[in-house]
Amino acid sequence: MTPVLEVEQLTFGFHSKRPVLSDISFRVEEGECVGILGANGAGKSTLLWCLLGLYRASGVIRLFGAPATAAVRRRVGVVFQNPEDQLFMPAVLEDVALALINCGVPGASARQQAAAALERVGLAGAAERPASQLSLGERKRAAIAAALVGSPDLLLLDEPTAELDGRSVRELTGVLRRLPAARLIASHHLEFLGSVCTRILLLSEGHVTAEGATAEILSDEALLERAGLV
Amino acid sequence: MSARVRFAAPILIFAGLLALMQWLGGGRLTTLPLLTIGVSLLCVALASSLRWSGLIFRVRPGSSPYTALLFALFVRHFVLALGTEARRVLIARRLSVPRTWGRGAVRSLVFAVAALLVRSAVRAERFYAAQSLRGLGE
Repeated sequence: MTPVLEVEQLTFGFHSKRPVLSDISFRVEEGECVGILGANGAGKSTLLWCLLGLYRASGVIRLFGAPATAAVRRRVGVVFQNPEDQLFMPAVLEDVALALINCGVPGASARQQAAAALERVGLAGAAERPASQLSLGERKRAAIAAALVGSPDLLLLDEPTAELDGRSVRELTGVLRRLPAARLIASHHLEFLGSVCTRILLLSEGHVTAEGATAEILSDEALLERAGLV
Repeated sequence: MSARVRFAAPILIFAGLLALMQWLGGGRLTTLPLLTIGVSLLCVALASSLRWSGLIFRVRPGSSPYTALLFALFVRHFVLALGTEARRVLIARRLSVPRTWGRGAVRSLVFAVAALLVRSAVRAERFYAAQSLRGLGE
C-alpha cells in the first residue's frame, strides 16, 4: 500500500552553518496516527512547516505517492498551534465552511458540511458564535473542524495540547482518536501522545534519534531524559 | 475618560502628528489630517453597522465583492489582533518599568513598540501560512 506521507533525507536550516533539521526520514501509513515527540526547540514545528511547503527543505517529500505539489497538499488538513491564526470569520460555522466556499461548493451545502464537521468535534452548539468568544479548548476543536471539513486524508497538528487544561486535553484526545484519517502530531506532551498515537518519532536537536511503537518509546526513561523530555 | 474618547484618541493623535509634520515641513496645512479623521469615522460607522455574520454565504467566490469582503475580514481580524497585542505589551511595560512617564519612559516605549511590530509580523506570517493552506491565496 502506498504510504500517505513519505519523507527521505529531509534537511533544512535557516542559516547554512547549522541545519535545524538533518537527514529526517520516515513514513506515515493510511489511517495511522504518528507522534513527533521532542523538547522545545527540537524542530517539530519546523518539520511540519517543511512538510507543508512553507519552508523549502532539501530531500524528498512524497504525499500519497506523488511529489508534494500545491494540488496534492489540498488533501492535507492542518491545525496550527494557535487557533487564532486560522479562525477569523464572524462565526465559527463560517470559518469551518470557508475552505469549501472558496473551492466553489454552494453555500447551502458548505453550511451543511461545516455543521457536520462541528458536530464531529462536539461544537454543534457554538456554530453561530465568533471564535473569540470560545475557550481555547473549543477554539482548538473549531480549528480541527475547519481542517476536517474537506475530508483530508492526512491531518497535521502542531502542539494541539499547548495551553490546554486537563479536561480540554481529554476532549481533544477523544476527538483525535475517532478520526479515520492519518494523523501526524507534533507535541512534547508524553501522556497525550501515549493515548492517541500508535507510533512515535523522537526528534532531538533536529535529528530523529528513535522511532518505534508508542509504548516502547515512552517506557524508555533514559532515552526521554537524553532528549530533554523528563 | 469615556470609552468613546479613549477609542478616538489614537486617531486624533495620528491626525495631529500628520498636521504637525506638515507644519514643520512646509508650513502649509492641507486637509489630510481632517480626511484621516473622516475616513476613520466612516470605516468605524460602516464596520459597526454592517451585519458581518452570514455575508460570506451570500457572495459568489472569486467575484469582486467576495475579494472585498475577505479583505475587510482580514483587516478586521488584524485590527483586533493588533489591539490585543498592544494592550499586552503596554501592560507588560507598565509592570516592568518604574515609571511610564519621565526619564527612561521614551526608551521603554520604543522597546514596547518594537516588540509589538515583531509580534505583529510573526502573527501575520502564521496567519498568511494558515490561510494560504486553505486555498485563499489562489
